[in-house]
Amino acid sequence: MASDPQSAANQRIVEDLVSRLRRRQVVGSRATALETLLVLRQVVSKARFSNIDQLINIIRTVGRRLVEAQPKEHSVGNTVRKVLHHIREEYHTASERPAVETSFSIAKFVLQGQPRKQQTTVPKSETRIPLKENDPDDPDSFARVLKPVLMEAIQDVFDELETVYDNISKNAKDHIHSDEIILTLGMSRTVESFLKAAAHNRNYTVIIAETAPSYGGREMGKSLSSAGISTFLVPDSSIYALMSRVNKVILGAHAILANGGMFATSGSLLAATAAREYSTPVVVCAGQFKLTPLWNLYHEYGALDFGDPSAVLGFDEGDLVEKVDVVNPYYDYVRPDLLDVFITNYGDHPPSSIYRLLKETYDDEDNEL
Amino acid sequence: MAELQIYESYQRLLQNEELSTPLAAILALTEMMERSRAGTMFELLNELKGGAESLSRQTSNPIGLNAGCELFIEFITLFPHDAASFSELKRELIRQGQQYAKQALTYRTRIAELAFDFIKDDSVILTHSYSRVVLKTLLMAHKRKRISVFVTEARPRGMGIKTAEILQASGIPCTVVLDSAVAYAIEKVDFVLMGSEAVVESGGLVNAVGSNQIAIIAKAANKPFYALAESYKFHRMFPLSQYDLPSHHPRLLSFPQALGAGSGSSSVRRPSESSLPLLDHAPSIKITQEDIARNNPDVDYTRPDLITLVFSDVGSLTPEGVSQYLVGMFAG
Repeated sequence: MASDPQSAANQRIVEDLVSRLRRRQVVGSRATALETLLVLRQVVSKARFSNIDQLINIIRTVGRRLVEAQPKEHSVGNTVRKVLHHIREEYHTASERPAVETSFSIAKFVLQGQPRKQQTTVPKSETRIPLKENDPDDPDSFARVLKPVLMEAIQDVFDELETVYDNISKNAKDHIHSDEIILTLGMSRTVESFLKAAAHNRNYTVIIAETAPSYGGREMGKSLSSAGISTFLVPDSSIYALMSRVNKVILGAHAILANGGMFATSGSLLAATAAREYSTPVVVCAGQFKLTPLWNLYHEYGALDFGDPSAVLGFDEGDLVEKVDVVNPYYDYVRPDLLDVFITNYGDHPPSSIYRLLKETYDDEDNEL
Repeated sequence: MAELQIYESYQRLLQNEELSTPLAAILALTEMMERSRAGTMFELLNELKGGAESLSRQTSNPIGLNAGCELFIEFITLFPHDAASFSELKRELIRQGQQYAKQALTYRTRIAELAFDFIKDDSVILTHSYSRVVLKTLLMAHKRKRISVFVTEARPRGMGIKTAEILQASGIPCTVVLDSAVAYAIEKVDFVLMGSEAVVESGGLVNAVGSNQIAIIAKAANKPFYALAESYKFHRMFPLSQYDLPSHHPRLLSFPQALGAGSGSSSVRRPSESSLPLLDHAPSIKITQEDIARNNPDVDYTRPDLITLVFSDVGSLTPEGVSQYLVGMFAG
């Protein structure tokens, strides 16, 4: 199969993204999610398959390749899982076979609750072309019928990613009130658009920690003040001192984990802990593509991602460099009990119900790609 | 008569080492259905409810079996049937009950697999009393990771010793810890694994007495506290305190009657005890282990905010997540 030209083309685009991920030429959860989606769209459009399992296998193989290239960029795996979930859904509606058998058992009762009247299958007016799996005469017929639907499904995921900031910011004015003092840190596009959206309706003040050593906070400060928001840029060390005056802490996330905790720019744990001391609410803004079906990553030090140490201690300080270990972790793990709410493009959720959102978004069998 | 029979079959089923109380209760109810001569669904349900009630009356700690009975009866009530004859439907329900009990025996393996990912190499684990699912998890983890285990003695029944014996026999380094030494040991511990009698709607845990204090100590020491529970142990109950548990009765923790006419000594004893030199006035009262056990609870309730995660065959849940499943079954 590897010899046929189409899959060779697929190989090429996959390898291309793999190497860009490896070299960190694509960074940021949303950018990587978009790139992954583009590759998956290519792969699906060129793939040859005659039944659903083959297709899922193809996507999984590609997914695994991409995840291995940059295992700490969780949105790659998340996008693959989401696409798989959509594909299965489309397949189940297309093949008129109902997704769940009707037999009822105690195990199912525990899992799914009381039996519902299954009258939801609305008779669709469009004439359906019968799906034929493993047709020996015409092995491509299955793919031919299903592909347009799949492309549509992938397009849906795409649209969702495109509009994610708008959808999160939609309710910004309900979360930020007039004359409030908001503390944030780092450069998060989600938080940026959230704050800007709130500024249309409310007059409030933002305190931004400059977030060494990346200094994303400075960039954020520039952007917010140019949008006319009253902005203070403060050093990271003053977060605790200022906390008593802050009404709300708004953070971005790198990945949201199944237990309701998250990985976020380093410094977030400091801010969240200080907020806990003053009982200041901590609000996290993040797109749904950051939901990661992982429970136990935070057990290990290596779960964090480390950046270039020269930002912390330059090589010009030669004497010192030899004597100390310098680490520059990108992210903090913030425990769920330090967070109050996640604002996503699928509504607002407390950390304790993230696991449920995950169950709705992905299929269980994909948690391990 | 029927009452005796169902209790007998329940006791006989419990002889099976693998069956936990909710499953034994479900099987006892299926056996009751086999004997039943009920001709309508209404009669059958009434009989089953009566059976469940009498079972619950005859056991001192009915929490686990209540969970099983409620699940099974609710299932029967909601079972969508279009069977032509009632006897056919009854056979189907019996089959469902038995099939579930068989299937449910595999749940412990699934939970062990879930929990396995949370056990890292070289972990020190604290567990309490005796729990088949915890045991399974530990034995499974031992095959691929280095673990060592502290297990509490778990008075008054001392079931922790049984756990320790099994673990040591299979080569897991294991030490029995006094119930009163948990706070001493906790600093060496990486996390707590706890079995359960039932998980209630708040996400809290009902388990062998002592679980609550271990949870409080674990919280104070900032150690994760993981509960393991098969989904048939989810129980629709919302205790607000220890004394809301059905296993509580007024005799528990009651103060002894001031000793009656014969020995006015109880009022005399107090001053004599405080003045130590008068030791030859040895107290005339002997307190035995049995006395203590009789006045003490078997199980206690652990609040959900002390629990980090609940591992169950339906997935790893936050304590709040348990209520979602209970609401799905019993409300709506």
